[in-house]
Amino acid sequence: MNAIEELGLVRIDDRLIHGQVIAVWCKHQRFTRIVVVDDGVAADSFMQEVLSLAAPPDLQVDVLSIEEGINSLGESAPDRGTTMVLLKSPLAAKRLYDGGLKYSALNVGGIGSGPGRKHIFKNISASEEEIAILRYLMDKGVEITLLTVPGERSKAFSDLAGKS
Amino acid sequence: MINIVIVSHGDLGDAMIRATEMITGPTEHLFSVPLLPGESPEGFGEKLAAALQGIEGEEMLVLIDLLGGTPCNVAARQVLKGNVECLTGVNLPMLLELVMSRNDASLPQLAEAIAQAGREAIRNLGPMLNK
Repeated sequence: MNAIEELGLVRIDDRLIHGQVIAVWCKHQRFTRIVVVDDGVAADSFMQEVLSLAAPPDLQVDVLSIEEGINSLGESAPDRGTTMVLLKSPLAAKRLYDGGLKYSALNVGGIGSGPGRKHIFKNISASEEEIAILRYLMDKGVEITLLTVPGERSKAFSDLAGKS
Repeated sequence: MINIVIVSHGDLGDAMIRATEMITGPTEHLFSVPLLPGESPEGFGEKLAAALQGIEGEEMLVLIDLLGGTPCNVAARQVLKGNVECLTGVNLPMLLELVMSRNDASLPQLAEAIAQAGREAIRNLGPMLNK
């Protein structure tokens, strides 16, 4: 009878933890834990310290590699419902999903502009490859919403991508 | 002369420099690196590195607008360098004090003094004026 507890939020934001945005989300929804899943940050202890400074003091912050994320955020992880998972890119989201960490909803909160990326919505840019990855996840049944912070205008990725 | 670099969201740093120069007159070795809307942390990091290239190895005080914001998270790594200090929560009194006194003390002492000046400049006027 026990339904699997969904992760509180799975979010793509290449800025990861940046104080104000996280604070706004935490007022909207109760979180006890932020987990940054990123191979680069997992190998960078200084950046881990900096990101911990940026988090509200009452939140536990953990940084995991993609592989560690797949292995430790699964169905038996504690406090899944109040865990915010932060990823830098659509590719990271796909690697988690394909690795076995299933989620039903994905928030795209911020992807900065860069070479090969075009602007798609507000502060979100994406390359053709990244759009293809989001479409792949959408076709798997993941509900993808483009939204910086609660209360602002949002957009369903399916509206942008067209139903396929 | 100690270099002063402001990293900020949008035009804040440039505006603070203009406001400071209204009071002190033109200054040197003072510049800002803005994070623009939609800019990625990597893009901002590259811009910051390019801006600092000309003063590599020189003493530098980095003034950061917001603890935990993207300019802060990207620029914080500078503090690992031996001749760099970083302060967050920059306000105009800090910048003014810094421009006027940056040659009077060692960089670590200056960083402490400017942090204190920033805190002391914040006052609740009502009670002070017997409202």
